[in-house]
Amino acid sequence: MSEPTGPVLLRFDHASLAYGRARVVEDVHGSVHGGEAVALIGPNGAGKSTLLRAVLGLVDVVSGRIEVLGSTPARARRDVAYVPQVDTLDAQFPVSVGQVVLMGRYRDVGWLRRPGVRDRALADDALEAVGLAERKDDRFGTLSGGQRQRVLLARAIAQQPRLLLLDEPFNGVDAVSQQALLAALRRLQDDGAAVVVSTHDLALAHLACDEVCLLNKHQVAFGPTEATLTPELLRAAYGGQALELAGDSVIVAR
Amino acid sequence: MRYLLEPFGSPFMQRALAEALLLGAVAAVVSVFVVLRRLSFVADVLTHTVFPGVVIGFVVAGTSGIVWGASVFAVLSTVLITVLAGRSRVTEDASMAIVLTGFFAVGVVLVSRQTSFTSDLTAFLFGRILTVDRQQLVVTAVIGAAVLLLLGLLGKELLFRAFDPAGAEARGYRVLALDLVLNLVVALVVVAAVRAVGTVLVIALLVVPGAAGRLLSDRLAGITLIAVGTALLAGWLGLVASWQASVNHGLRLASGATVVLVLVLLYGVAAAIATARKVRA
Amino acid sequence: MVAAVVAAGLLAFAGCGSGGSDRAAGRSDQIDVVATTPVVADFVRNVGGDRVHVVQILKPGVDPHDYEASPADIQAIADADLVVKSGVGLEATWLDDTVSSAGYGGEVVDASRGVTIRQGNGTDEQAAGDPHIWHDPADARIMVGDIAAALVARDPAGKAGYERNAAAYDAKLATLDAQNEAEIGSIPVEQRKLVTNHDAFGYYCARYGITFVGSIIPSFDTSAELSGKELSDLVAKIEQTGVRAVFSESSLPPKTAQTVATEAGVQVVEGEDSLYADGLGPVGSPGGTYLGAERHNTATIVKALGGRV
Repeated sequence: MSEPTGPVLLRFDHASLAYGRARVVEDVHGSVHGGEAVALIGPNGAGKSTLLRAVLGLVDVVSGRIEVLGSTPARARRDVAYVPQVDTLDAQFPVSVGQVVLMGRYRDVGWLRRPGVRDRALADDALEAVGLAERKDDRFGTLSGGQRQRVLLARAIAQQPRLLLLDEPFNGVDAVSQQALLAALRRLQDDGAAVVVSTHDLALAHLACDEVCLLNKHQVAFGPTEATLTPELLRAAYGGQALELAGDSVIVAR
Repeated sequence: MRYLLEPFGSPFMQRALAEALLLGAVAAVVSVFVVLRRLSFVADVLTHTVFPGVVIGFVVAGTSGIVWGASVFAVLSTVLITVLAGRSRVTEDASMAIVLTGFFAVGVVLVSRQTSFTSDLTAFLFGRILTVDRQQLVVTAVIGAAVLLLLGLLGKELLFRAFDPAGAEARGYRVLALDLVLNLVVALVVVAAVRAVGTVLVIALLVVPGAAGRLLSDRLAGITLIAVGTALLAGWLGLVASWQASVNHGLRLASGATVVLVLVLLYGVAAAIATARKVRA
Repeated sequence: MVAAVVAAGLLAFAGCGSGGSDRAAGRSDQIDVVATTPVVADFVRNVGGDRVHVVQILKPGVDPHDYEASPADIQAIADADLVVKSGVGLEATWLDDTVSSAGYGGEVVDASRGVTIRQGNGTDEQAAGDPHIWHDPADARIMVGDIAAALVARDPAGKAGYERNAAAYDAKLATLDAQNEAEIGSIPVEQRKLVTNHDAFGYYCARYGITFVGSIIPSFDTSAELSGKELSDLVAKIEQTGVRAVFSESSLPPKTAQTVATEAGVQVVEGEDSLYADGLGPVGSPGGTYLGAERHNTATIVKALGGRV
């Protein structure tokens, strides 16, 4: 991994999150620089999605702070892009791939106006970046799961974000799509954006991410990938659940 | 062809046709959203909650008060329903059903206190499209224009929210506010439709055209075109049918209901075509 | 093509209708008159004779208080030379809207002009009063007079014929009046009490000295319903006053009348014997004309209450 050269785009300062009265994530602390990719790893229910939503300003930070692009989450939202899991979307919806990607431009187009030439060009470039330009006029639902995930990433890229948040984008995605996703993310990082991606796939974390945040309702560790993905820390994060590691060995933690 | 044009020689049929076409086109556009957002039940609730407003408006100010009463209740019930859908301990379905029946019952009780109200009740519920006057046409046109304007201005945001509410929220759109606008749009169509087809039949206009369009097209533009076309055709043919039946065969077919019937038949045709396509594919 | 298929489907679906068209225009040597109720239409036919083509809006058995005009109705009014209504708010809920929608600019003749209107029983919304004026033959004669005058004004060329017809019919009405009086007179005095389906016989009772005990539907409008208390009050009154029969009507379902009669242990007069309260019977039947219907009403009432016909 290259040394992080960019400025701090996302900083967690002992942040704890809550839904109403109930605290759901405790004491997250660390920072993400431009050009970096950080993996958010933990079992289901650990609070990964909640943390991402907090970066978007949609969840209350009850102690500590989250600083996004030097500002509050709500104010920084314009430059933050979120890629949801593709199965949260209705595959029957009558919208084309191109239309989905164009949605990434809406906020910048603003209320009451229509997307212009530049917006369409950005959308086309984004679709190109994920390798699906030839599917532009096809209905979104006719694509495979992995392809649809790529389209959602394209939508985010069209936004020209400085910080990109992805919620388990590699779940059940075929190898080709996985490659395409990683390549597109790499290009964004090269342009100076920061990426936070929640995932179960440790191999991918090793492959693509500079740092890892291990989460299980509280932060277990936040540091460089190699140093953080150790058996002890993983055991601490996952409790008694099974794990798969890179290479051909599988370790079951007790 | 003469058969299809013959009924519209008299001014009253021309006005009825104008009302049917105006209302049909606007409702059809809204119905696309209703179908995509799966708002058929919400739309049905709104047709029932606007009803007491119709009665109160009539009691207070006669026929011209209907639209005002309906509008007030349209706004009130839109807010109530949107809030309910956003936060409810009982399931969304149940709380809305309670609102629906409660409001409707209030309306019926109010109507029943007036002993001379049966014909007015059937007028509110099923409309009197043949006695639509110029003023009513203007009201329909104004409401229709407002609806289309709202949808035109907010169309892309409404589309985004319909497709990906989580993504829209992440982008900073207030989903609740967008839902309020769409629900209000539906309620406004109900208000515009009260005099012509009544609150019970308007649900057909708010659902069937969009459903037919969805059967036959995979693109938003296509769906909308088919929806509008279906509604316009149903308005025209329904009025033709009820006129021809009445004048040439002495058969009474209530005009508003006949339009709705034709609409449903056209949906059947769309379903048949869609099935044939699937079988052939 | 599509329209034919659709229309056929709808016709098949719709089922019953009165069959046979009712075209608006008559012969070129006739004037077109639209009459709202069967009674008014009957009067117009009798006075107008061959010179008048009558289009009757309300068919036999249809409730006049709650009516939605069909395209044929509106078309007929649009093409009419004259429109005649019964008046006293009977057509209030639908006629004005229908006339203005049709674009008819002529006179709407009110056949009730000159009739002394009885006030309501207080529960109805119709400030105009009790509209069932025609059951008193004296008032029917006034209505016929109004109609004749209107026809003469609209079609002066037919004046002689109209006045002749009106006089002939007037004589028949006078005969009816006398006959009613004689037959009702044969009812034992203490039996001269009437309970009907709705409050339609106020003028009739006033004319012939019958006591109106009550009605199943407590107002002039057929949509209202008796509350539980009103129902038991009525049953009590029936038992108290010793009324022998409850009369139901041709245009309303007989169920409530039957219920009241059973509760009170009295006879219910229904079915073929129902009274003609709001309209007339089918064309061609004995009750299909005003005279026939009124004769039937009186005969039925007198027989049931113990008089001689």
